[in-house]
Amino acid sequence: MSGNQDTQKSDNPDVSETGSDAGEPPNESQQADSTVAEGTKSDKQKIDILLKATGNAPIMKKKKWAVDPERKIGWITEFMKKYLKLDRSEYLFLYVNQSFAPAPDHIVKNLYDCYGTDGKLVLHYCKSQAWG
Amino acid sequence: MANDREVLREIWEGRLPVCFQLNSEEIHSLQAPDAYYLMVPRLSYFPLVTDKVRKQFVRYIHPDKQEAEMWLDFNGQPLRWHYPIGVLFDMYASDIQLPWNITVHFDKFPEEELLHCPCREAVESHFMSCVKEADVLKHRSQVVSSMQKKDHNQLWLGLQNDKFDQFWAVNRKLMEASGEEVFKYIPFRCYRGEGPFIQRLVRPVTEEGQRKSLQNLIQEVFPNETNLLVMTHGIEPPWETPLQWMSEHLSYPDNFLHLCIQPL
Repeated sequence: MSGNQDTQKSDNPDVSETGSDAGEPPNESQQADSTVAEGTKSDKQKIDILLKATGNAPIMKKKKWAVDPERKIGWITEFMKKYLKLDRSEYLFLYVNQSFAPAPDHIVKNLYDCYGTDGKLVLHYCKSQAWG
Repeated sequence: MANDREVLREIWEGRLPVCFQLNSEEIHSLQAPDAYYLMVPRLSYFPLVTDKVRKQFVRYIHPDKQEAEMWLDFNGQPLRWHYPIGVLFDMYASDIQLPWNITVHFDKFPEEELLHCPCREAVESHFMSCVKEADVLKHRSQVVSSMQKKDHNQLWLGLQNDKFDQFWAVNRKLMEASGEEVFKYIPFRCYRGEGPFIQRLVRPVTEEGQRKSLQNLIQEVFPNETNLLVMTHGIEPPWETPLQWMSEHLSYPDNFLHLCIQPL
């Protein structure tokens, strides 16, 4: 997965912040757009994902992210662990529709096409199995 | 409801002869181990049927590797344990002469390509997740969530122990179109080459209420392509096969249709 990539999540060109959950000033979203433009290696449109904590999981300060459609769920989990400063050995479970845990090699595009709502894919996460 | 029981039985009994051989670079004994032959169910998963393979080969490898996770490859292609065996065969080996020659490894786990499988429970949890996902598509999750834990166990044990009746006693509930005549969406995955599988929302009927066929599904998923070949369970289902019937009868135990797509 992302094991051999650099561990500085903020340097990562493939994830860009979007949205304004916390009500950022408008120029913030312009910045996000330019990040997307720099980061694109192809014309593929990024997919918005919304990350919602459940149970005892720590809250992500930024909940909405735009990710490459080909990204795998396992990559998102690793990314979130770094962002939340969790240990690599700690568990983080991601759920779609609050009902099933997609395999780590499920790609975002498939999940968005099947379970996306209002232009985004909602993923719930927790540190212990929730809808097991 | 699923009632062509002979078809279900035929699918369930699909087997593949496999010849397992230890990767020659990992042999640490003077004498090379014999190959190990098994008839494996197409519907099962490799970690459920390879305990004996591990036992056979672990004596011949370096002592430091005794506890290492075993993994398999065919022609240099690592085999994903979380895909049903029949899917892996149809993807990579459908044109070979049997038996299927698979190489066994304990060293150099391909982290980028395979998920780890620490235990049988990992297979169970993956399997149940797929069943739940399929039910989200078919019944908005209503059937699987109304089941009890013992039903889930029975489904899993039926698959693990190769018990057709035990499995289908529960699975038939998942395969009922509950109230309406058809599923909301057909759970399917299309495999093509090395890339990730493709999964889309496809309804079993058109807006006018006409039943869709396999051909309709392929046209919806690959709109700009012709001359594709679709294989599942080692057969090429006719293009006019109704989707709803396919879903009820040709789905793997995880409740998904797994379709391997090749150019004609």
